[in-house]
Amino acid sequence: MSKLLWIPVAVVLLALPLYLDASWLKAGQYMMIGAVGAIGLTLLSGQAGQLSLAHGFFLLVGATSYSVLSGTDDDLVGLGLNPLLALIGAVAISALAGVAFAPVAGRVRGIYLGVASLALVFLGLYLGQAAGSLTGGTSTGRAPATFELFGFSFSNEGTLIVAGVPLRGTERLWYLFLILLALSYWLAKGAVGTRIGRSWRAVRDNEAAATAMGVDVRRTKAGVFAVSSAYAGLAGVMIVLWFDILKPDENEFGTYGINTSIAFLAMAIIGGLGSIPGAVAGAVVVYGLPQLLTLYSTDLGWFTGSVTPVLVSSFVYGAAIVLVVLFEPGGLAAIGRRIKELRS
Amino acid sequence: MLVLDRVTLRFGGLVALDEVSFTVTPGSLHALIGPNGAGKSSCFNVISGLYRPTSGAVRLGEQNLLELRPHRLAGLGIGRAFQNTALSTHSTVLDNVLLGRHTLTRGGFIACSLRWTRREEKRHAARAREICDFLGIGAAVDQPLGSLPYGVTKKVDIARALAVEPNLLLLDEPAAGLNTEETAELAATIGQIRTDLGIAILLVEHDMDLVMGIADQVTVLDFGRVIADGTPGDVQTDPDVIKAYLGATT
Repeated sequence: MSKLLWIPVAVVLLALPLYLDASWLKAGQYMMIGAVGAIGLTLLSGQAGQLSLAHGFFLLVGATSYSVLSGTDDDLVGLGLNPLLALIGAVAISALAGVAFAPVAGRVRGIYLGVASLALVFLGLYLGQAAGSLTGGTSTGRAPATFELFGFSFSNEGTLIVAGVPLRGTERLWYLFLILLALSYWLAKGAVGTRIGRSWRAVRDNEAAATAMGVDVRRTKAGVFAVSSAYAGLAGVMIVLWFDILKPDENEFGTYGINTSIAFLAMAIIGGLGSIPGAVAGAVVVYGLPQLLTLYSTDLGWFTGSVTPVLVSSFVYGAAIVLVVLFEPGGLAAIGRRIKELRS
Repeated sequence: MLVLDRVTLRFGGLVALDEVSFTVTPGSLHALIGPNGAGKSSCFNVISGLYRPTSGAVRLGEQNLLELRPHRLAGLGIGRAFQNTALSTHSTVLDNVLLGRHTLTRGGFIACSLRWTRREEKRHAARAREICDFLGIGAAVDQPLGSLPYGVTKKVDIARALAVEPNLLLLDEPAAGLNTEETAELAATIGQIRTDLGIAILLVEHDMDLVMGIADQVTVLDFGRVIADGTPGDVQTDPDVIKAYLGATT
């Protein structure tokens, strides 16, 4: 995207909380969570060619780490750190968890790696339930510490009025998420265009050639897993702030389950594997659709009994993956490039 | 100086290389030839660290290459081009060539994503463009590789190997898949690399015309053994070589 085009995009995104009500802002925040996670996965699976279905697990690692590091509950383990430090710590712990998976990632490839990584989701399911002193357990969960930045609280505390609109917790969280997404995007862009990004693509396209050019394939794979997990961990922190609760899943389908791992993969594929703007667009489709359908559910009147917005949007993005694979393997990113070429 | 000292490579009962010894002297264009299945590619893969020989030694100067993990070779100044142009087809020519600068640059995710390496990147990109200009593909530098003809991608592969700033360049059947005209152009390019850049080249090839025209030294392999080693003139008249290439004449 050209640099000038960013200005109106930024202005709109910054002004939205002044016009939209909280439920719409919540929907937008959810898409931003998806975007941060999807950027991480598109680096791993798209740029470096390592299929992973473990994203849900790393989300849980980040979510739990933040809750534990910042937690002040008496009956649970909590270090009571400053929330910003807790956020940074949670991202770092998630990255380490990614590195810990490297011995497996270095040995298996392709679909086998995908299946091996899926095992982590089940590990997370077990740990989430077993380590109740960290996660709060499945029945009650645990409330995360409210995010604070240099004394400014991202909650309804105090009054802050901009242009006649009171900025409460939801509006404040919107700006926090916007900053985190912008930072994630900018960092990923920088990495992809330079030395580290080239080594990822070399490992993806030909390991023998990568080796001959001096790329340590094992180390590169471990590194890209760390980066991707760090992104997932950040998305995990965002998700506990969004729900305002950390609640481990009761079965393999849930906030940190298989369905989440697949949803992130869907974002990366629909957006075009390896494309960072594509990952954001994919997140808007995959995480935006259920949110919008829920907001409109009463107006639409489609949803009765077992037909839920989540179910309908699963079908829609499932179909979108099939269409992408069949007609445009480059995903939304390739469609975007083509529109750009037509205009110039 | 690259020295192979009695290198033997066995795959189970099959002897792919049988006590192969030869020396590539600095600045020379050394060709490794032989009929199909003679062990040329095996020998090449031993040198580049993809195969570990059963016995024998491979040395570059004082350094025993067999002690190192294969990705370390680029750092020692060994550049390698591939038979099937193992490049990233979705990336641009420049991006592909810049991969060759990997060992000459530093920076992981944090340094790269925070743009700390930006100036270094620019400097190396300029050098990569220079290398592309030298090989006559300067005009294609910013194009995606997938859109280019095969002859050009071959040169991109060589450009990437040269981007390592090697003092030994390994070329694996560079003429494979090229027509006569492209082969002649390639021969000129290889000769130019040797004379202008003064680096040693080890060329694996079965196109005899290409080899005999440009090589200083030729090693001939047959059934995994060295059957001749000398100047192109010596080798061409060697009865064993003629037999290996044309079949036994009695």
